Amino acid sequence: MSHADNNKKMGRGTIGLLLVAPPVALVIGLILWPVALSVIDTLTVQTPEGPGLGLAHYIFFFTDGFSLRNLWLTIWVTAVCTVLLLGISLPIALYLRFSDGRYAGYVQTVALFPLFVPSILLAYALIRTLGPNGTVDTLLNAVGLPKIPSPYLTPWGPIIGLVWDNLPLTLLIVLAGLGNVSKASVEAARDVGAGRLQVLRHIILPRISGALMVAACFVILGLFSAFTLPWLLGPTVPEMMGPYMRRTIIDVDAPTQARTQAVVTFLICAVFAWFYVRSVARGRKEGAQ
Amino acid sequence: MNRREILKLSAAGAALGFMPRVAFANTSQIDIYITGDSNIINFWNNVIKPAYDSANPGYSLNVVSARNNIAPIVDRVLAALGTDTDPLVDLFDENDPNLPAGAIEKGLWVDFTKEGLNNYDTINPVTLETDFGLPYRGTQVVLAFDTTRLDPADAPKTWDELTAWIKANPGQFIHNRPDTGGSGGNFVRRAIHEANGRDPSMFRIDNYVAGESDEMLAKGFELLKDIGPHMYGGGQYTGDNMQSIQLLAQSVVTMAPVWSDMALDAVNKGVLPDTIGFAQLTDLAFAGGFADMTVPTNAGDVEATMRLCDLVLSPEIQTRIVTDIGAFPAIGWEHLPPDLAAKYSEMQPKTIPTFPGGPWVSAISDGWFRTVAPHVAR
Repeated sequence: MSHADNNKKMGRGTIGLLLVAPPVALVIGLILWPVALSVIDTLTVQTPEGPGLGLAHYIFFFTDGFSLRNLWLTIWVTAVCTVLLLGISLPIALYLRFSDGRYAGYVQTVALFPLFVPSILLAYALIRTLGPNGTVDTLLNAVGLPKIPSPYLTPWGPIIGLVWDNLPLTLLIVLAGLGNVSKASVEAARDVGAGRLQVLRHIILPRISGALMVAACFVILGLFSAFTLPWLLGPTVPEMMGPYMRRTIIDVDAPTQARTQAVVTFLICAVFAWFYVRSVARGRKEGAQ
Repeated sequence: MNRREILKLSAAGAALGFMPRVAFANTSQIDIYITGDSNIINFWNNVIKPAYDSANPGYSLNVVSARNNIAPIVDRVLAALGTDTDPLVDLFDENDPNLPAGAIEKGLWVDFTKEGLNNYDTINPVTLETDFGLPYRGTQVVLAFDTTRLDPADAPKTWDELTAWIKANPGQFIHNRPDTGGSGGNFVRRAIHEANGRDPSMFRIDNYVAGESDEMLAKGFELLKDIGPHMYGGGQYTGDNMQSIQLLAQSVVTMAPVWSDMALDAVNKGVLPDTIGFAQLTDLAFAGGFADMTVPTNAGDVEATMRLCDLVLSPEIQTRIVTDIGAFPAIGWEHLPPDLAAKYSEMQPKTIPTFPGGPWVSAISDGWFRTVAPHVAR
């Protein structure tokens, strides 16, 4: 390698670093630094001798039945939504990947449609359709069937809304993962006599487990901080962490409590973010080999 | 369209925003800062501005939205007080002249009693709270109900009749959470008034004391816990003012507390059928309030702004306030067309109790969520 080549490489490296510097600086200045200040604030306790370090705010959160019920509801809704989302998007993705039929395009359009609907519109539309005396009730009534027990203002309201809202993202990630599964390998398995379920279990699922993991992480991170749908469709109490944090800071006017709730939420999300980063890193390593 | 074209267009759009000042440099501009929603902004742009601009050649209203962000603008005007700098604000459409503290003493606000406004004497006295604010539109929480299921003659007139009706008609009443909108919030506050001798003067902005005030609130929460299981879904509460109106429109419930202006607007737009009736409690009304216009004494042209204030209080504009945005007029109904007064007679405010904000808001929200809301039989 000549000297000039080396210089060129060095130059490129510097330009690369300069290019990533603004976003890194933004992340540090506008996100990490305020987050650090907030975390320090939640660990600060006012004592007669002045501010000191202490866990009082966290002890309050974890001994307060009201807060724990809210956290528990958030975890429960997130878990149910994630299972439903993976369960719904996997069959659709399989159909889109392996079908040559002319309906595949339409199915994909319909499945991606929620991407373009703002969640506040979705919330009011769901009240009109699935809400009490909504469209579904009217249709059922017309054919002499009883009304449905409305999911509106129960935990099932936000679950239905959030599943609808997050379906396109999950579907796209699972679909991308299915790109790794060659049709040839599926046909080979069929040739040696594998049934549909066996193909799914032994050929497809092992190849897309990474994609499913990434999809689950993305969905969980989004669901945990969901606000609009739980706020408009969910029960008053227990409330999910998004509406709870907003109410605590704006209405109850207790910013430190709200920050404590945010840090607890963040730590739970961080576990899944770590899973995500790890699986992406693993994917890159495999790709490099 | 490629990205470059979009950039060009948006740059042109941004430049357009600065144009009126240049184009009408010889026209005096009256700057109005609006705190209200888009319905209020539209009202100023589409009703008041044309009327003012045509009656005052050489003057033009500039309507600016300052949603949720009025405090820094008031601070800017206060900072300019006593200097030669024009604060570029002539009028705030909805502003508490008591804020920031001491502004009145420093002479920031125009005293409307001394400005000789032609229409000042027509103002309904119950709406006047201060000499430094000019009420021009009001709203109050009222009970809205489905007249096909409840004869207006049988509509509850007192708190006791209301709670008796709620218990006799389980699942037919709903209100929204007190943190998500004033219609539910003022229903909760009415219960607190009820439990404390129906005396609104017991609650002031400066007399909240942790502990003893919380006990006063707790007495109100007990009343609400008692009726909670008889409300919709055994004690479910909607997420905002509009949802209660929607449930009323879908015939899910028979009655809900609503903001008078939102409900009238909903009736005008056909969201609510015209079979919806309204009632107000007569032993003590639900809380409400009037939007006060304030004018800084250092405004560029106080005289032209006073002509605007007179115009807003004129019977013509006050009529439009009722018909277009469903708000209460600030002037007495006797100054308005008789057929209009008759149509809205049930909603005419006789008294408008108020409930202070500040620390009371957080105490009520936190207390209600922790004691009343979990009390649900599911």
